[in-house]
Amino acid sequence: MDKYSVFSARLIEQTEYLTSGHRACQGCAEVLAVRLVLKALGRDTIVAMSTGCMEIISSPLPLTSWKLPWIHNAFENSAAVISGCESGMKAMMRKGKLPAKKINFTAMGGDGATADIGMGALSGALERGHDMVYVCYDNEAYMNTGIQRSSSTPYGASTTTSPAGKASMGQHTQKKNMTQVAVAHNIPYVATACPSFPFDLIDKVKRAAEMPGPAYVHIMSVCPTGWRIPPEDAIRYGRLAVDSCMFPLYEVVNGKYRLTYRPNPIIPIRDYLSGQGRYRHLTEPDIEKINDMVGREYQRIVKMSDEV
Amino acid sequence: MSKIFISGNHAFAEAALRAGCQCYFGYPITPQNELGEYMADHMRKLDRVFIQSESETAAINMVIGSAATGARVMTSSSSPGVSLKQEGISFLAGFELPAVIVNVMRGGPGLGNIAPSQGDYFQATRGGGHGDYRTPVFAPASVQEIADLTYHAFDVADRYRTPVMMLSDGMMGQMKEPVVFPEPIGKLPDKEWALKGRGDGPSRYICSLILDVVEMERHNWKLVRKYDEIEKNEILYEEYMLDDAEIVVIAYGTTARIAKGAIKRVRKDGVRAGMLRPITLWPFPKKALADLCARIRQFVVFEMSTGQMLEDVQIALAGRADIVFHGRPGGVVPMPVEFARIIYREYQKMTKPQI
Repeated sequence: MDKYSVFSARLIEQTEYLTSGHRACQGCAEVLAVRLVLKALGRDTIVAMSTGCMEIISSPLPLTSWKLPWIHNAFENSAAVISGCESGMKAMMRKGKLPAKKINFTAMGGDGATADIGMGALSGALERGHDMVYVCYDNEAYMNTGIQRSSSTPYGASTTTSPAGKASMGQHTQKKNMTQVAVAHNIPYVATACPSFPFDLIDKVKRAAEMPGPAYVHIMSVCPTGWRIPPEDAIRYGRLAVDSCMFPLYEVVNGKYRLTYRPNPIIPIRDYLSGQGRYRHLTEPDIEKINDMVGREYQRIVKMSDEV
Repeated sequence: MSKIFISGNHAFAEAALRAGCQCYFGYPITPQNELGEYMADHMRKLDRVFIQSESETAAINMVIGSAATGARVMTSSSSPGVSLKQEGISFLAGFELPAVIVNVMRGGPGLGNIAPSQGDYFQATRGGGHGDYRTPVFAPASVQEIADLTYHAFDVADRYRTPVMMLSDGMMGQMKEPVVFPEPIGKLPDKEWALKGRGDGPSRYICSLILDVVEMERHNWKLVRKYDEIEKNEILYEEYMLDDAEIVVIAYGTTARIAKGAIKRVRKDGVRAGMLRPITLWPFPKKALADLCARIRQFVVFEMSTGQMLEDVQIALAGRADIVFHGRPGGVVPMPVEFARIIYREYQKMTKPQI
């Protein structure tokens, strides 16, 4: 966050673009993230949304929570569909059939839609350079279908398809770093955010929308149901994830890294892991290993950030 | 072997384990998630492989790779996911590789919903992918049948070197029933065509790119001869109260169960109704149907779709009897009383003296 900006809850957009009455679980931080993202984007927005929790809970036809133009598409296609929206509007504006104005073309997907099945379409859209924002809501598993592992599930987490037990310690692969995948496309704007830090999130989404060309925002969305934590602790666990450096908040503007929040003091990773049902089976060496991995990744980003 | 109380999705998985399925590749989609979860839980213990892929396309192509090495292999999904698998199924047919694909159908088209439906009949029986091919399709109507037919499907796949489709729906998948499972298979069949590393012999290859049109035609006719064999040997169907029937219901899977309830209901009132339930949807029991129309004038087709199996019934009966269709698409599960009303109505029309 810029030091000279004024941040106050009263200055946040008052209009709700995602209305209440949707079917999200108690304490869902993901739907909070959607709400904040839409406040940051404003009225002139078209949203293409992949199948997933956020699509299912917000649109059980004939009901809808959306007060913005919204198109739903199959799991893997939101980046491709928004590419089409952007191209279509561009053509209509060029021909003078629509008045030329800035529209925030936004694609949204969960971690499964982004890091697994839709990665090809996302990569294509980023490479083609559409003027769009891709927002990934990362709750670290396929929560909509009942907590199956995704490639974004962190090392050691137990899910229904990576169950912890005698023969397995849960997810044994490392979390795919989608933020770095997006950075590798050399696009103008990449950022990570978390709804536990709402001003930071709104700021980043605004910047992503203002930047011409593709932007990617990766949002850590705490899922009390899937992480097996009490619903009232969702915001706290978002803070713990950031303060323990499990999920560093940073942005990459035209290749330049900048940490937007430096936790001080950095809290032990154990504080973040303990209390989450999905990590309850972890042994001391496992936690030590996770601590090392997290520390190394954080130091790398700090270094990149300090270089500028 | 004792009875186990188990859900349909778990029964698919358990039967596959007993049939010697060595690899399972899947991707989450409701209403078949429990199948993959069961595999995740059990495959590792048996030193077999469970992989959750990054997409349905990846899963079916992992199936291709695994089948090419001679492993018994299965994948599962629900309607939208099976649409993504179609390319791979066409390749399996072209390669002549055995595999079992489970489709736990849900409402469509598009993303539809997660309620049970029978809207994928065309896709399954007509070959949803490209090219001239057929896929044997089994449609279980109870959890016991899920267990038996899945076990059988692996044998059919290996015997004919073909992908086999298990066509079920959300209700079958989620429903729990007592089941007696077949004994675990002892020895798996030898596959002399499998890719296993060259060793001292000549190199084998698996390829479906045949640029020479005459060769391609030959390959197509070879497949047809195989499909003829399947049509000759593998047709399964159930006859229900057909001996004295005057009006005959044709239904499969979940709908057939509901229709049984309807038939029991109308029989109490002296309406002589019966049912022919196709268990294999391809090959379709055409001959059994054609034989029936020698003595039966009225057929009723029930489906949880807008009329897909109806076309197979029309082809089989070839205009020799009246067919009435009643369908509930989009995930609505009808009640027996609803079917019973249709049977009453048609029966009355049939027996009413002509003026």
